[in-house]
Parts: sequence; C-alpha cells; structure tokens
Amino acid sequence: MNLTQQLINGLVLGHAYALVAIGWTVLLGVARLVNFAHGQMYMLGAFVSWYTISRLGLPYVVAIPIAMLAGVIVGYIMQRVLLQLTLKQDLVSIMIVTLGFGYVIHGCAALFFGSTGQILETPLSLQDIYIGDLWFTYQDIAIIITAILFFIALKYVIDRTRIGRLTRMVAEDPQLAQLAGINVKRVYLAVFAFEGAAVALAAALVAPRTPILTSMGFEEVIMTFVVVVLGGIGSVLGSYVAGLALGLFTALFGALVSPAYTTAAAFAVLIAVLVLRPGGLAANPGGR
Amino acid sequence: MNSAFRPVLIAVLALAGFFVPTLLGGSGAVYSACVLIAIFAVMSYGLDTVVSDLGEVSLAHTVFFAVGAYTTALLSTGPGFGPIATLLGALVVVSLIAAALGYITLGLREFAFSLVTYAVAVVGANLAQNWSFLGGSDGLRGIPAFNLSLGPLAFSAKNDQELWPIAYILLLIAIYVVYCFRRSRLGQAAMMSHLNPRLATMSGIDLQRTRLQVFLFSAPVTASAGWLYAYQRAYVSADVLETYFLILMLTAVVLVGRRVLLGPLIGVALIQVQEKFLSFGGYTDKIILGSVLVITLAFLPKGLLGLFQPLTGLFARRPSPVSETRL
Repeated sequence: MNLTQQLINGLVLGHAYALVAIGWTVLLGVARLVNFAHGQMYMLGAFVSWYTISRLGLPYVVAIPIAMLAGVIVGYIMQRVLLQLTLKQDLVSIMIVTLGFGYVIHGCAALFFGSTGQILETPLSLQDIYIGDLWFTYQDIAIIITAILFFIALKYVIDRTRIGRLTRMVAEDPQLAQLAGINVKRVYLAVFAFEGAAVALAAALVAPRTPILTSMGFEEVIMTFVVVVLGGIGSVLGSYVAGLALGLFTALFGALVSPAYTTAAAFAVLIAVLVLRPGGLAANPGGR
Repeated sequence: MNSAFRPVLIAVLALAGFFVPTLLGGSGAVYSACVLIAIFAVMSYGLDTVVSDLGEVSLAHTVFFAVGAYTTALLSTGPGFGPIATLLGALVVVSLIAAALGYITLGLREFAFSLVTYAVAVVGANLAQNWSFLGGSDGLRGIPAFNLSLGPLAFSAKNDQELWPIAYILLLIAIYVVYCFRRSRLGQAAMMSHLNPRLATMSGIDLQRTRLQVFLFSAPVTASAGWLYAYQRAYVSADVLETYFLILMLTAVVLVGRRVLLGPLIGVALIQVQEKFLSFGGYTDKIILGSVLVITLAFLPKGLLGLFQPLTGLFARRPSPVSETRL
C-alpha cells in the first residue's frame, strides 16, 4: 500500500463527505430540522447532472446549476408540504415524511433515468494528474477547493450577515422570532431550498468519482450522519473537521482492512462516539 | 357496549377473520396475499408500539425483521431445527440485538435516535450483502417447509394456503399482545413519557428504562414476522433489509390512525391489495406508497379515520373518552 496515495484519497474523500454534509449541517444546526431524503436528493443531483451532460449534450458548467435548480425545487416542494409540521415542530412526523419523500424521489428517478448504473463523466474527471507514482484527477482538486470555499462562505454568512442572524434566531425560538417580525415560514423554505442546492452541487462534484445508481441514496446518506454527529450536530467547523477525519479513516480502512465494510466501520466510529461522548450530541442551536 | 357481550363478539370476529381468504374466492393468489398481509401486519405491530406509543421513530425495525428471518434460515438449514426452536432462537437473538441497540441509544431522543437506528439498518444491509456466514448476496436457500409435530399431532404447510392458519394465529397473538401492552403499566408509562416527559418523571416513571423496555417488547414482535416470512419464501436474502419494508411499516402504522388497534392490519391490507391486485409496476408503486405516507402525515394527522370523524360526530350522543383504545 502506498501510504501517501491513501492519504491523498482520504483528503479528497474527506472534503467530499464534508461537502455532501453541508446541507444537513445547516438544516440541523440552524433550523433544527432533519431530512432523511438527503441521500435521494444527492442521487437526484447526480442523475440530473448526468442527464444534462450525456443526454442533452450540455457542458458541465451548465449541468451544475441545472442540478442545483432541481435541488432547490425539490427542497422547496418538500418544505411546502412539511410547513405545518415544521411550525408545530412535530419532529417525529417530519422525519417520517422526509423518508417518504426519499422513497418517492427514488421511484421517480428510477422511472425516468432507469435502474442501470451510469458513469458521470466530466471534463475534469477525465484529466489525470501524476506526480511520481501518485495519482489524482482535476475533479479531486475541484472537490477540495469547492468544499473549502463553501465552508468559508457558509461560516461567514451564518456568523456575520443578516440572513445568518435571522436563521439563527428562528432556530433558537421560532415563536419568539415570529413575534420579532421575522417571516419564519420564508426562513424555513429558504433553508430547505439551500439544502437542496447544496446537496445537488455536492453531487455534481462528488458523484463522478463512483458509478451512480438510482438506488444509492439509502446508503449514501450514512456518511453524512456520521459527519454531522462527529462534528457535534450542527457545527459548521465541526462538520468540516469531522468530514476530513472520516475521509482519512475510510480511505485507510478500505486499503488496510476491507473496502466492503467501510460503511460498517464508519458506523462503528459513530457508535464509539455515542458511547464515549453522549454529551457531545447536545445540539447547539444556531450552529457555529 | 354490554361488557359481557364484548368478548363473544370479538371471538366471533376473530373466527370470521380466519375465513376471509375463503370468502374472497380461496385462490392461490388470495391465500398468498392474505399470508403476506398477516406477516407484514405483525411486522408493523412491533414498530407501532415504538412510533405510536413511545413517540420515537425507530428505523432499525427492518433489521429486527431480518434477524428473525436470518436466524430461522440459519437454524433450520444448518442444525435442522423445527419451527418452534427457530422461533425461540429468533426471539432470543433479536432480544440480544435489541438490548444492545437499546443500551447504546438510551440517551438519544428524536432525530439522534432515528439517525442511529437508520445507520443500523444501512449497516445491517451492508453486512447481509457481504458476510458469507449470512449467504452474502446469494442469501440462504433451502429452508424446509413449515413442519410442526408435537407427539401424535403433525402439521405441515407446503404452500400459502396451508400456511394461512399459522399466519392468522400469529397475527391474532400479535394484536392481543399489543392490546395487552396498551393496557399495561408499561404501555401507559410509554404514553406518558411520550406526551409529557417531565410529568412522567415527576410521577416516578424512569424514562430511559421505559424506552428500553418498549424497545425490547417491540423487537420480538417484528422478528416473529421475519420468522414466518422465512418459511413463506423458503429463502432469505439481503432484500429483507430493503427500504420497502421500512416504508411499508411506517405507512401501515400511520395510515389509518395512530393507536388504533387494527390500524396496522388495515393499513398493510390496503397497501398489499394495491400492490398485488392493482399494481402499476414496481417504481410507480414506490411513488404511490411514498406519496401515501407523505400525504397522510402532512395532511391527515389523524389518519384515514380522521376523515370520517365529522361523520361519526353526527351520530354520537356524547363525546367518547379520548384515552380509550379504539378497536
């Protein structure tokens, strides 16, 4: 095993995990909401990008915003349906509804895109870079740069801008925020639309690394859970660090032990954190 | 209703239920659908107590279902155990797994609890697909037919029609067990800790213990459905861990109305009838099932029964007590 190569893989994988988890981090940390359809929205983002490039013949740079637009639409529709439950803070129903949505998205995608595996090829994923015996692609570099920029921008928006302040107020106390004149409904809709766009962007960038299947959403989301929990639910900086750590861990585990059981290994890490640090799960409203 | 008359009526209804497949024509497809409805209803009853009574969303119940099926497959194909031994084995194994999971998630509530149980479901599917002990992606084949012999009595079920009595008895037991649970001290403690955790604590209820106990109660119910499912299909593979079962269970639990004793049964029956007799193809059925789940929760918080509530108000002479479990 080439250790440096595995570290590079881990670094890319880690940024990919962090990027995919951004939407969830904001949703959970800022709005105290969950979305179990996250994995299916990732799948949808990947397939919309694939369809735009390989079937419509449009360039990659056009496919990304189209996928994001699809994400925004799905996120918006979901929150429109969920709005009453969100305002009631009926978390049990919200969780089940998002699971149902995930199932519907899976069914729709399978009908429209078919159930065979596809490969999302982009101009960046086809260009290899060799340094000595180390190998990576321009796609990998794009993932790392986008993830870092996205996290910096997100941290800035949440901490320093009016929009960030409003969302944090809604997360802290929706009723009181409404009394203070904030349009709570609009904030919830915006947060869900953002989650849709963020996960679609992540999918357009990360999905070219592996073959895509319409059934991949179920398993895809587990790494996001681990990142969010490890990072201290809702913490933006925590998610980034947790993503990196998990990426390095899975790359090394896959190379040293068994690639088939990386999901199980990531789950073992999750359980270890839960048992050792149960207090670490306490969500910090308005996530920093 | 006259309290002396009630048990007789229930007994008559229970007996009549047994002849439903015959009344519907008694064809192979009808028996097959009825057996599956009974099995999936039992599976859903396990989850029902966690979702409706405890107010938590466990997404690990597909794993309990799979544990029941896999344990049955392993014990019947390897050492050649009969149905009673495999049932006991399945219940023991699932109780151990549920206890471990319950212990780990003891301090977790709401989304954190659901998140971890979801992860358990994904890892369970991952293990089942890759672990050769569980047959890997091929699964475990060659489960012998359901064959029960107690002394001079022998019962053998080679097809769904012959399996129906077992499925129906299992269903009745599950319904009775859930009925008793709702009237028990544990059931009431669960309801109280769901509705008002602070009040429950003040009245001396140990929340974590209650949660663990309900979890331990519900897992074997779901696993017993897995036990019969293994015999019904004669093989078990990783597809028992598909999201389909999770969505099916959740929809069945919420569709008719929560804490309605026959709710999960009616829910499963409606879904299965659509899928077996009015199917639009696998993916469209997926969209239908998912949409039913979404629409029920988002727009019919009281389930289908909520739709009929204005009508029942027309005939009711006085308001019925809220706490009573409806049949």
